[in-house]
Amino acid sequence: MDNNDKPVLIDMQHVVKVFPPDVVALNDVSVDFRQGEIHAIVGENGAGKSTLMKILYAMENMNAGEIFYNAKPVHFQSTGDAIANGIGMVHQEILLIPEYSIWENVVLGLEPTRGFGKLDEKKAIADVLEKIDEFGFHLDPLALVKDISVAAQQKVEILKLLYRNVSVLIMDEPTAVLTPQEIPQLFDELRRLRDNGHTILFISHHLDEVLDLSDRITVLQKGKMIGTVTSKSTSKKELARMMVGREVIFSSIRKPCQHGDTVFEARNICYRDEDKVERLKDINFTVSSGEIVGIAGVEGNGQFELVNTIMGLITPQSGSIFVQGKDITEEPILERRKLLSYVSQDRKTMGSSASAPISENMIMTHHKLEKRFQKWNGLVLNFHEVTKFAEEIRKRFSVNMGAPGAPFQSLSGGNQQKVILGRELSLSSPFVLLDQPTRGLDVGSIEYVHEQILGMRDQQRAILMLSSDLDELFRIADRLLVLYRGKIVADLITGKTTINEIGYLMLEGTIHEN
Amino acid sequence: MKTKFINGVLGIVIALMLGAIVMWIQGYAPFETYTALFNYSLGSFYSFTTMLRNSVPLILTGLSASVAFASGPVNLGQPGQFLMGALLATIGGLYLDLPPILMIPILILLAMLGGALWSGLAGLMRLWFKMDEFITTLMLNMIADFFTYWAISYPLFDKEAYSPMTPAINPNGWLPEFGNFNTNIIVMILAFIAVWFISKKTVAGYEWRIAGQNSLFARLGGCEIDKNYLKVMLLTGALAGLAGGLVVMAGPHRFLKGLGANYAWDGVMIAMVANNGILATLLYGLFFSILQTGALGMELITDVPREFIMVIQAVIVLVVVAGRGYFNILMDKIAVRRKAKEGLE
Repeated sequence: MDNNDKPVLIDMQHVVKVFPPDVVALNDVSVDFRQGEIHAIVGENGAGKSTLMKILYAMENMNAGEIFYNAKPVHFQSTGDAIANGIGMVHQEILLIPEYSIWENVVLGLEPTRGFGKLDEKKAIADVLEKIDEFGFHLDPLALVKDISVAAQQKVEILKLLYRNVSVLIMDEPTAVLTPQEIPQLFDELRRLRDNGHTILFISHHLDEVLDLSDRITVLQKGKMIGTVTSKSTSKKELARMMVGREVIFSSIRKPCQHGDTVFEARNICYRDEDKVERLKDINFTVSSGEIVGIAGVEGNGQFELVNTIMGLITPQSGSIFVQGKDITEEPILERRKLLSYVSQDRKTMGSSASAPISENMIMTHHKLEKRFQKWNGLVLNFHEVTKFAEEIRKRFSVNMGAPGAPFQSLSGGNQQKVILGRELSLSSPFVLLDQPTRGLDVGSIEYVHEQILGMRDQQRAILMLSSDLDELFRIADRLLVLYRGKIVADLITGKTTINEIGYLMLEGTIHEN
Repeated sequence: MKTKFINGVLGIVIALMLGAIVMWIQGYAPFETYTALFNYSLGSFYSFTTMLRNSVPLILTGLSASVAFASGPVNLGQPGQFLMGALLATIGGLYLDLPPILMIPILILLAMLGGALWSGLAGLMRLWFKMDEFITTLMLNMIADFFTYWAISYPLFDKEAYSPMTPAINPNGWLPEFGNFNTNIIVMILAFIAVWFISKKTVAGYEWRIAGQNSLFARLGGCEIDKNYLKVMLLTGALAGLAGGLVVMAGPHRFLKGLGANYAWDGVMIAMVANNGILATLLYGLFFSILQTGALGMELITDVPREFIMVIQAVIVLVVVAGRGYFNILMDKIAVRRKAKEGLE
């Protein structure tokens, strides 16, 4: 079927979106979506995929641009307005009421009623059942949402929109919450919807999925429209190049590592959370000086708990953590910070204070550990040294910043991360814990961060890096551990394994038998 | 800093204008009313010094609230801490007999101790039993209220008085006055300088400020959150207690019923208007004292009742606080529009 024959349904023209104060999320993006196609929107983290879709769905307003729907200019006032006009969005996370049944969730907000606003339960169930049958969803409308699988919950989300007669479905990374086995089923359903005349806009950064499912693909890069291609006429390689603006460097930039003594050791760590769910199961590994150990895994497989255990935000039920032979399992955070540097995965909530001056963000932890920042017997801060230190970090990490007294939030994301890295890497700790150190950064900043991390390795520090980006891990890690359901299922030398093997381990927990 | 100042001045001007409109609708003469108001708070040495003396409890309770809120703890116990500070200073004043040079500092320390004990109690309840200070400080206000009422009605009751009050404290504990200039203002300024220094220059103040903005960041950075929490509670309680002690030592020289008036809640309000800024708290405290002191004159000269000042205070809070939020949104919008234009090119 040739998509070019299909009429244009939605035409977004010259869309500009700026997040305060000056983050350009979308820079003059023009794209059209045709009736009855599956259209994928791809791009790296922060490319503007979700923002573009949220603008279409009226969740965000745009600062400039126009949207034409059925060739008429439209300006939806609210998401309700968008739905009434036939455009609906399924969000990445499930937004249902777990204690309600499927039919209750579906009709919520648009309940069929009898006299005096009384809910017409029979009609509601019948209506929902009719939709389920129409689209072949295999759901029991009476089942409680909390009792069904995530894949089924996602179907309920789609059903909710179909019940409202939505003809354009926006799906924000629908496969992120699914197991590999559930994905083909979702795709079949989406194809069936398309064949029924629905239009599906689909956000993803998995190129295989995109090529498999979609008719056309639009690539965004850093808020700019790169182009729209038909799936049949493109390849993974071309898409990857469009996404990052050059050939992806899949090759490693590591030099052979000369590692020394064991610096970090996790011994038999088990952690059960408040709901008695086992999050970490008998974790054992070591990191030596001059070595970068990467931890791969699908998010939610124990990474969060492992980091919090090392940092001292949670205490494991059993097991111990050693840094340079010192047992820090029960030590207060200050004692740990004498031995470890830490770059958290979330700059805003863990790594900085947005409204505090840049300089005061830089001296955190240093102000406790280094005498030069204190005077009067440790009571008073030495602001002369603070300013000097801010200059040092600015120079060493080439931070593009105003006065050290300017608020941290005035920096761009990349420079914020440089400040945080600068702070943590200039601690003289033997062990460095990096949790998603490049999340949300542009390609240039990522390269910079990688160089800094490799520099730390050359200084014989022991580095543990968690990342959801396999390319990143393969690029700089010497050894890779795979976390799967709270267990370390593999400990491999980077040069002796492949991305495919690690990917399989992440999803299945074992290496394929066949 | 500059935008904050403009925002504050603008807020006050708008609030006064709104107040004028309300007066005009009710048939009063706004211009004369405001003239009387400012005459009776700034017009002469007497009114000016009275205004300064009245500002002391407002500013100190305001600082207490500002420091607490800016550092994280929601200490709403200023009324109770104020009363306990006043009570301890009164007890010291009744039973000690030392020369003024010793007596005055000791009473001041006792006042601070009284407030700190009361806030420290709430702090410990949080650390030991995970009880939220937001609730416990409010509850302790009630207890302090009735406990001090009981204390001045029974054990410390002045037998010659007709209503609950203590006898006058030892004159050696009275704060010296020069004409109408009461030295409580000097104590307040010393306290202000100390608070400013602690907050802006010390290691502890740095950690408090950061923790107030992002507690998890401070914790992961190695700051001892619990210790800091208790220190903030003690300091802010001591400030409110000091306010209470100074009211006794500068004014009636005894603890009488209703001594706390509304000082502490006004202090919380001032902290809110000042957005927990130390210097801003001082300035707004002075301004609120101008309004409250002048209100008396306003009532004497014109027909406008003293209570009208509460309307103006409320309008100032609304205009300044809402204006601050809107001002930021406005600045963001302007920045976004500019960037959006650039982006198109």
